[in-house]
This record gives sequence, structure tokens and C-alpha cells, in this order.
Amino acid sequence: MAEPLLSIENLSAGYGDIRVLWDISLAVQAGEITCIVGSNGAGKSTLLRTISGLVPANSGRIMFDGANIANMPPDRILATGIVHVPEGRRLFRGLSVRDNLLLGAYLRKDDTAVKRDLDYVFTLFPILQERWKQDATTLSGGEQQMCAIGRGIMSKPKLLMIDELSLGLAPRLVERLGEALLEINRTTGITILLVEQDVITAFEIARHGLIIETGRVSKTGTTEALSGDPAIRQAYLGV
Amino acid sequence: MVYVQTLVNGIVLGALYACLAVGFSLVWGVLNVINMLHGSVIIFGGYLTFFAWHSYGIHPLFALPVVAAFMFLIGYVTQLLMINRVIDQPVLTTLTLTFGLDLILYNFMTVYYTATPRRVTLDLGALDLFGIAVPVDRVFGMVLALALTGLLYLVLRRSRIGRAIVAVRMDSAAAALMGIKVDRIYAITFGIGALMAGATGAIFAMVYPVTTNLSGTYLGKAFVVCVIGGLGSVPGALAGGIVLGIVESFAGQFFGPQHALTVGFLLMLILLVVKPTGLTGIKGYE
Ligand SMILES: Nc1ncnc2c1ncn2[C@@H]1O[C@H](COP(=O)(O)OP(=O)(O)O)[C@@H](O)[C@H]1O
Ligand SMILES: [Mg+2]
Repeated sequence: MAEPLLSIENLSAGYGDIRVLWDISLAVQAGEITCIVGSNGAGKSTLLRTISGLVPANSGRIMFDGANIANMPPDRILATGIVHVPEGRRLFRGLSVRDNLLLGAYLRKDDTAVKRDLDYVFTLFPILQERWKQDATTLSGGEQQMCAIGRGIMSKPKLLMIDELSLGLAPRLVERLGEALLEINRTTGITILLVEQDVITAFEIARHGLIIETGRVSKTGTTEALSGDPAIRQAYLGV
Repeated sequence: MVYVQTLVNGIVLGALYACLAVGFSLVWGVLNVINMLHGSVIIFGGYLTFFAWHSYGIHPLFALPVVAAFMFLIGYVTQLLMINRVIDQPVLTTLTLTFGLDLILYNFMTVYYTATPRRVTLDLGALDLFGIAVPVDRVFGMVLALALTGLLYLVLRRSRIGRAIVAVRMDSAAAALMGIKVDRIYAITFGIGALMAGATGAIFAMVYPVTTNLSGTYLGKAFVVCVIGGLGSVPGALAGGIVLGIVESFAGQFFGPQHALTVGFLLMLILLVVKPTGLTGIKGYE
């Protein structure tokens, strides 16, 4: 098997004295869509925050593209190509859709490529082009998620991490967003790490999956194999 | 006619207040720091401007950009080296720190310059507009104040740094995910606050006496303008400044100038009770 794009070795992290992640090890293959599922409070968001540098790692390594990025500042991690679309979209109030998207490209100097990526985001989500002048936080929930993903694409990711794609959205919209992720992955080759509480959605989109329980990786495998696992079917799929 | 005169005086005063308060408001809005240094930095800017004029004959208009740039630098370094260390602490901690720094600057100026009021006297005379007299130096100050405030608005709205400041104000963790160095943006914002204070000092030196005795008064006015106009918003500071200017002007007319300040504070207290988001309701970002 080829060298993974992201591989995490024995990572522990938390908030102050509170440890949330225990000895996490995982690998994300380049060019694929991988999902992390687990119940509320398992530590999925904390894991993404540790990868993107918002939360310090207590121990372990986070290898990305051949370098250990653990405990680098967020701007340097972003520059290596790891982009984190946070839970709850976190768009900037008072700024237009376009300004929000351009903030994704804050570190970039390649203006023509930025323009091209903006056009790409607008073809991917035409509604954002229609609404480009509008305050981004006045968009509907689904449109806000599109804007957040678009803002992520504007950062020119090698690895796009999305926290809770489906949170608070109607099934029809989740499906639409899932298709968009598949298209992004297919046309640009961007590797995607998707965090979801909604296991059915996650398994439909991703090829590989990891299950996190109380800060530990409990199972890994292809989503096909995982959805055949009786224990998982009972705990997460409700069948 | 006398009311029109009072109104015009109030508007001129209000423009000066907007410029006085806008940096304080920005720092409070973006960093959640109540910058107790603001009044003394205005006085410091005033002194530098006065001495440039008095000792070297440099016109305040030329001193202003240099004073402003110098204050930016001081503000930037102060935030980066000192305030950033406690920026995550409760607001009382940062307030105490800036209060301590203010004591140092205030006492330094009082000892070094003494409290003797000084003023740049340009002797420009007064304009007569249909029977309303406006001193030219005040009009000049108003134009400068509005120009600087407008410039700040444009920088925040249109520039890359401005977008980053707004992003940090709205959501600093999400801003960090954009690759924005949040502590640098804090330093730049505090620098801009000091820059506006220094520029205000340069403008005020042409209009008001420069004396450390006024530093608390200026700080208080910045406070009132923020409460009236809302935090961290340029249009809010402008609205708040003009409202305060007009209120003070009329209060001076009716109750005597010695009560103008009191009426301003009373207005603030009433607003705090009745409408804590500020008169304009602008929760804005610009
Ligand atoms: N900022 C924080 N400070 C302290 N504890 C936190 C913070 N954020 C999350 N936690 C705790 O960390 C644990 C994992 O949370 P989180 O990573 O958000 O889980 P998930 O995303 O899987 O729902 C929870 O017990 C939560 O209470
Ligand atoms: Mg979460």
C-alpha cells in the first residue's frame, strides 16, 4: 500500500488537565474519502482541532506529507495543505459570501489561481454566486455549509477535513452536499476526511471509516466491511 | 438662530469625538480590552505635536502622520509583548494592565511636561456662514477627524488586513483556521487604536489645551461614545460621537458649559439601562 497522506501515531490531547484523546493512531490514504464516526462527545472535533493546531497535542506524532506537524501553529499547518471546515460552519458575520470565501485564501499569493478556485466554487455551488454580496450568516443552513466548504476549497487543501457535514440539515440537502464532496474528490483529487454523527450518511460517502469511542479508535476498515459488522449495525445503524 | 449655532458647534465637536473614540471602540470590540491608556495616548500625541510646532515650527498637519505612525509602533509592541500575554484572561485583568500602563505614561508626562496647559495657536480666525460663526481651526480639525475616521472605515472594509481584523472580531478560532495569526492581528488592532489616539491628539492640540489633566476626561468620552454607538463599529462611533457632541453642546447652552460633561455621562447611564446595545443598535464590525 502507498504511503498514507496523513498518519497519526499514538496521539493524546485534551483541554488543560482534561484529557480527551487517548493514544489515537490512524491513517488516511491520499485521494480517498475517509470518515470518522462516533457518538456525541467521543472526541471527533477535538481530533480535528488537534490536527489543525487549535488544540495542542500532549504526545504522539501527526505525520502529514512526510513531516510531523504536531503542535505547529495553525497558519503553518494550513500552509502544508490541511484545511479544517469547523463544526457549525463558523462563517464570519458581517462579511459577504465573497469575502468569506476570500478569507479562505488569506495566506495565498497566487492571485490567478485564487480567481480560478473562486470560479470553481461558484460552479460547484451556483447559489453562492447568486448570493455573493449577501452577509454569509444570513444564508440558509445548507447554503452556509456550501459556503464553509467553498471557503475550505479556497485554502487550496490537499486534505479537506469537514466536521459534521449534515448537522441540522434536511436529508435532501445532505445528499446534495454528499454529491458535491464526491465531485470535489473526483475532479480535484483532494483527500477528504469527513466527521459525522450520522453514520449512514458517512458510510455512503466514504470508502474508509474509523470509529471513535471515548477518545480511542475502536474500529477501522472499509465502510463496506464496517456496515456489515453486527456490533456496529446495532450501535450506530439501529438495525 | 442661536440653536443652529449650537447645533453646528455640536456637530463639529461630535466629529472630533468620533475620531477620539473610534480607536478605543475598535480595540474594545476586537480584543475585548478596555484600553485605559487611550486618554493618555491622546495627550501624548498632543504633546509631541505641540513641541514639534513650538520648538521646531513644524505644522501639526505634518506632525500628525509621524505622531500617528509612532503611536502605531508603540501600540503594536505593547500589545505583542505585554497585553497578548494576558489576552485570554478575564477583561478585568487586561483592564488592570492597561490601567497600570496608563499610570506610568500619565505620571511620566506630568513630571516631564508638567500639567501646564499648552496649545498650538494657528490664529486662523473664524468662518462666517450665514451668521453662524465657526472657528477655522475647529473646522480644519473636524475635516481631519472625519477624513481619518473614513480612512479607517475603508481600511477595515476593503483591505486584506481589514478583513482579517473583522474575522478575528467575529470568531478568532475560525480566523486562525484561515491562517490568520490572531496575536498579530491583535497587535495591529491595538496599534491602530493607538494610531487613532495619537492622531486625535495632534488634531486636538490645535483646538484644545494639551494637559494631562484632560486624559481622564477623554477616556470618559470614548467610553460614552461606545455606549451610545455600540462597540467596534466605525459608523457606530461616528453616530455616537455626533450624538454626544450635540447633546453636550445643547447641555452647555442650557445648563452652562461646566455641566456639559455630566449630561454626557447621564445620557450614558440612561442608555445603559434602557438600551445596552447602544443607540444605533449597530453590533457591527466595521
Ligand atoms: N473547549 C473545551 N474545553 C473543555 N472540554 C471540551 C472542550 N470542547 C470539548 N470538550 C470535551 O471534550 C470531549 C469531546 O468533545 P468533542 O471533541 O467536541 O466531541 P465530538 O466532536 O465527538 O462530539 C467532550 O467530553 C467535551 O465535553
Ligand atoms: Mg463534534
